Amino acid sequence: MWKKYLALGKAAWALTVEYRAQIVIWMMSSILMVIMLMVWLSISRDGDVNGYSSADFVTYFMIGWIVRNLTAVWSSWELDFAIREGRLSPMLLRPIHPIHSEIATNWVEKLLRMIIVLPIAVTVLLATPGVRLTLTPLNLFAFVLSVAGAWLIAFMSDYLIGMLAFWTTQTSAFIHGFYGVRLVLSGIIAPIAMFPQAAQDILRWLPFPYMLNFSVDIAMGRTSGEHLLLGFAIQFAWAVLFVAAVWIVWKIAIRSYSAVGA
Amino acid sequence: MRYFRLLALFLKSNLLMELEYRANFVAQATLGVVWAGIAFISVAVFFTQTEALGGWTYEQALIIVALSTIIEGAIQLMLQPNVARIVQMVREGTMDFVLTKPVNSQFLATLRYARYSGLADIAAGVGIMLFALGRAGYAPGAAAIAQFALMFAAALVIVYSIWLLMAALSFWFVKIDNLTELFRALFDTARFPVSTFPGLVRILLTFVLPIAFMTTFPAQAVLGRLDAAMTIVAVMLAGLLFAFSAWFWRRAVLSYSSASS
Repeated sequence: MWKKYLALGKAAWALTVEYRAQIVIWMMSSILMVIMLMVWLSISRDGDVNGYSSADFVTYFMIGWIVRNLTAVWSSWELDFAIREGRLSPMLLRPIHPIHSEIATNWVEKLLRMIIVLPIAVTVLLATPGVRLTLTPLNLFAFVLSVAGAWLIAFMSDYLIGMLAFWTTQTSAFIHGFYGVRLVLSGIIAPIAMFPQAAQDILRWLPFPYMLNFSVDIAMGRTSGEHLLLGFAIQFAWAVLFVAAVWIVWKIAIRSYSAVGA
Repeated sequence: MRYFRLLALFLKSNLLMELEYRANFVAQATLGVVWAGIAFISVAVFFTQTEALGGWTYEQALIIVALSTIIEGAIQLMLQPNVARIVQMVREGTMDFVLTKPVNSQFLATLRYARYSGLADIAAGVGIMLFALGRAGYAPGAAAIAQFALMFAAALVIVYSIWLLMAALSFWFVKIDNLTELFRALFDTARFPVSTFPGLVRILLTFVLPIAFMTTFPAQAVLGRLDAAMTIVAVMLAGLLFAFSAWFWRRAVLSYSSASS
């Protein structure tokens, strides 16, 4: 399997470098986070906001920016296109599930993103006085693990939505809608801790905070002990659920799939 | 007069087309309402922690959210579909068919298509506006409404001019998708009072990319808190931008050598 991924990865790297203009587009999707950070800073100037100082907001949004770029997914677009245009048929003839090539592409592109995102984020964090990060080895391990879980939930939920194209031609609306919901509920526009308590109590059980907010909280040392373990349990459960859903829906869909011209 | 007749004809033919793809209309309209909700929440969340944002109360800030949603709807309705078509036509060389028609090319290129699902955004924006005014128990007087009407008309002209400029650039650069994406990303600032942002950003959003003229100032007019002088500035800015973008469009068209020649 690893050899296959290496081969897929090499092909994906060539493609990514070829289409590097796309990078401009995703850099822009980061503008929203900068805007939200500026607005939060405008109120934290007069004192802590719900336990967050200005430095905490900068930390939240910088770590959040890193996590967001590590969990960026777009295979739903590719899948929607492949299904509608009938390009899926040749992919199905290959001895390997098409999802693997999407995964390889996704990971390779992450490398390219980190080359740009990490230096900027680290510089901002170093230049901001009062940044508090919990960087013990155990915490770092938990952070990395949570980002892996976040990626899995993000990728699989996105793939699941892409598979709607088997039944509807309006997949793009679903992709856009889900993206918007994720912006709000995963903590991209605001730390979940800023939401009303009732909303937080519900959100804790949904997959969204585990796509971003959970990881950032770990890095900032805002979740620990049994909260941390419960968080991992919920994240793991959602990840398993989404993987299973992708697997099952794929089985059902492929049975009835007849592409254009097939 | 002839142009009004043409416009009515365009709107009708677009409506017929939209009726052919009803599922798409429903999906896009629903999406518009969802995004209006997201805009709403992304401003409302600040008010769970604070009483005022850049000196604006919750209800006042919601007027800005409403205006940004309405303008977003107008962009979806007319500007985005037409500019996307212009870019495509320049790339494929079919722009010739527009330029050889005996009507003003700018009129034909920018008002030919309409995507009616944009009306859903506009309706959602009006809904947010009524909610905000109702919550505040505030009804603007006749003078405020008149001033707002002027300010909002100027705002629409400014948005139109910016999109026309971007469209004209496609004659030289062909692919301007990045540019319209950048505009949309920066337009996320439009749902906040411009006073929320730090000094330099505020200046940029007022004088360079005049987003303050699109939402913050018209909202001030609704509240009856805008200097009359500012209205004159806005109308002049709109006129200047429109004249400049129209001039720029003509230059772009002149430099256009179709795909096959």
